[in-house]
Amino acid sequence: MEEKKLNEKESLELITQMIRQSRKNIGTGSGNRFLLYGYLAVVLAVVVFALVRTTGSSMWASAWFLMFAPFIYTTVYDRKHRPTVITYTDRMIDETWKVIGTLFVITVLTMMILGYALGSVNFGLMMPLALIYCGIGTSITGLVIKDSVLAYLPLFGLVFAIYMLMTLPALQHVPATWHLYFGISFLIMMVIPGHNLNAKYHK
Amino acid sequence: MLRELDPLLHSQLRLAIVSILLSVEEADFVYLKEQTGATAGNLSVQLDKLATAGYIEVTKEFVGKKTRTSCQITERGREAFEQYVEALKEYLKL
Repeated sequence: MEEKKLNEKESLELITQMIRQSRKNIGTGSGNRFLLYGYLAVVLAVVVFALVRTTGSSMWASAWFLMFAPFIYTTVYDRKHRPTVITYTDRMIDETWKVIGTLFVITVLTMMILGYALGSVNFGLMMPLALIYCGIGTSITGLVIKDSVLAYLPLFGLVFAIYMLMTLPALQHVPATWHLYFGISFLIMMVIPGHNLNAKYHK
Repeated sequence: MLRELDPLLHSQLRLAIVSILLSVEEADFVYLKEQTGATAGNLSVQLDKLATAGYIEVTKEFVGKKTRTSCQITERGREAFEQYVEALKEYLKL
């Protein structure tokens, strides 16, 4: 393309062509991020369940904090590999997950401070809250990129969160099976929609 | 009387740049070069002209060891583009 004057008709055609071309080159994105978090949750669910069940110690549940590891990894990766183009959709998704991430940090900090003040802390509540936060984040992402599987499937994963919240007040300890339920929720919420998104992306 | 077309936008490459930036949040130099098919030198000159007029915002940063030049349309650029399209419609009687 050169630096040349256009007539009015050519100008309008150029505007239309450029807008159409740039929209065509922008994909909906892949489901790899969902697969990263989803599979990690599934693996951790099985490992934590097995360790808690065999040792009888709920201390192994602290392994769930490893779920923050992909966040650190992706933050560093994104800083080193900036995309050539950022769309409004990209920004919307990015901002949504920043809010979800902040919610996680605030929740953990609040639980720790209150736990310190009250003399004990039960991180069991973190499990249904994490499912609700991630489920809502995934659904919003699905709505933004107009993917109905990603938008609605996570809502089924939230059934376990509701079950946990309803039964938690009557429990002394978090049952080992909750770790498995958590993994199943992530399978429904992130792994299946993630693979579906990738299949769509590669078509 | 027909209004004058903005001379800054009424050129092939600058109009292409602004049209692309209007449909995305941010685009870097490489992306703009690919989309417009312009040479690096020419693109750089036109980006400077648009930035000087306040139509776009150019940010230079280091990503690893490489420099990255990213561009965003400004509110002023958006308004100028809207007026340009309105003027075009008058010319073409649309």
